[in-house]
Amino acid sequence: MTVDMAVEVGELRLRGPVLAASGTFGYGTEVPLLERRALGAVVSKGIFLRPRAGTPPPRIVETPSGMLNAIGLQGPGVEGLIRDYAAQWAQWDFPVLVNINGETAAEYGELAARLDGVPGVAGLEINISCPNVEQGGLYFGNDPRAAAAVTEAVRKRTDLPVWVKLTPMVTDIGVIARACEAAGADALTAINTFVGMSIDLNTRQPRLSFRTGGLSGPAIRPLAVHLAHQAARAVSIPVIGIGGIMGAEDALEFLVAGCAAVQVGTATFVNPNAIAEVHDGIAAYLASHGFASLAELPRYLPRD
Amino acid sequence: MFLVDAPLVARREVARGMFVLSLDAPQIAQSVRAGQFVNLGWSPGPLLRRPFSVYRTEGDRIEVILKAVGAGTAQLLAMTASDTISCLGPLGHAFDLVAGPRSVALVSGGLGVAPMPLAAREARAAGMSVTWVHGSRTVDELCSEADGDEVIWATDDGSRGFAGTAVSAVPETDVVLACGPNRMLAAVAMRWPDAQVAVETYMGCGTGVCLGCAVPLARGGYDRACKEGPVYRAADIDWSVLPAHLPYAISA
Repeated sequence: MTVDMAVEVGELRLRGPVLAASGTFGYGTEVPLLERRALGAVVSKGIFLRPRAGTPPPRIVETPSGMLNAIGLQGPGVEGLIRDYAAQWAQWDFPVLVNINGETAAEYGELAARLDGVPGVAGLEINISCPNVEQGGLYFGNDPRAAAAVTEAVRKRTDLPVWVKLTPMVTDIGVIARACEAAGADALTAINTFVGMSIDLNTRQPRLSFRTGGLSGPAIRPLAVHLAHQAARAVSIPVIGIGGIMGAEDALEFLVAGCAAVQVGTATFVNPNAIAEVHDGIAAYLASHGFASLAELPRYLPRD
Repeated sequence: MFLVDAPLVARREVARGMFVLSLDAPQIAQSVRAGQFVNLGWSPGPLLRRPFSVYRTEGDRIEVILKAVGAGTAQLLAMTASDTISCLGPLGHAFDLVAGPRSVALVSGGLGVAPMPLAAREARAAGMSVTWVHGSRTVDELCSEADGDEVIWATDDGSRGFAGTAVSAVPETDVVLACGPNRMLAAVAMRWPDAQVAVETYMGCGTGVCLGCAVPLARGGYDRACKEGPVYRAADIDWSVLPAHLPYAISA
């Protein structure tokens, strides 16, 4: 039995619900073993207007069932990204979204304007887990007004689909989710990594040169399922679930919890074919439970 | 690059607490070159794979060398024949061993011996005579397997061979290849800027996407040990920024 795995996320029609998460897939040109047939979409490594060197090593450290990373958004800047990758993306049979980053709302807006209409760029995912230099380094994603301001700055400068990737480091993700929806977001990605820290007891210093890093992997999965669920309950736009998905059952938890699609990240580091395996596992679950399509999967999404 | 579930076929101890594991991984064995590595995953094991230089190949088998330094390596060493280990590789850039130079010094400290048997084989095939220089803190920690036309041992405590570091025991040769602790490689860079060194870093994916294995470059910026490396021209690395001591990498 063939299961219809297609999903619609706003205006974007995806052939499957499993997407490659930003920062875990480069610009889509690496990971040669990957079976691309199953890729719903790729979200590029996060990009700034200008090139960035990134943070000194050590940049990653493994923790129980997870990893901390502080890469520092190393990248070629938007012009380098357009020059080196966009033309390749335009040839692919799945969409590529660009994850955009800035230090001011205006920078996000400029990025959106520059990427608008570039062949190969199918949408934008706003990373609001960046410090806002105009507000003394307060993270955009922690403040509903700042999150809305960034979303609006991007929305005004592009006709591309706009997704906002939410940070889990908030007291009520629903408040931020609603602010982004009201500011014109087409979808939300929930959630980014948790900020964490690990100490080396030989040096009595943080293991990461940046001191803190983003925690990903199975360690965060139940937290992520809960936050994605809370976001999905708060808004009527689609929510893309992410956080510690290693296999199909993990992805199905997010889908049942109210997500339209999922992103897989850290799992790809361990298994370059993780996305294809998650996709196939979801299809097998749906088939064995008598569902002809992903759309038929019942969602647990009480509106109380 | 291949992804294979490789049965463990043999294990031997080559120094106190230092073991060579032999894995049946035909595609990798037939394509790997000296300095390249495999990223190994096992269950139960750590979340992330761990990189290991390929030590030797023999027919369809690859060998890796490790010490029991943490929970992960303890799990690997507790495995028995026919257990399988997931091998992703070969990864990274190899040593450049083209014909022309007449002699090469293979300089290793501790587990830095890992890429040297393959390097010796390739250097010999390129017509070079091989000087093998291997050092450790003390005689018990010296890898008992050597492969050179000339073999020089060095121990910090003088318990075997030259008393001092491997670097200070190296005679003049046309080419120098080195692998070992990063502070040893920094000393190599001071003496032979053109030496080829294989560096250790923390590593996430091994395939170039995570940017976790950043190597600071002398010209500024970073590149990836797993993709542009792990072999570098010694003077191209900014040794002051590369962590001098890593709890895992070649050693998991």
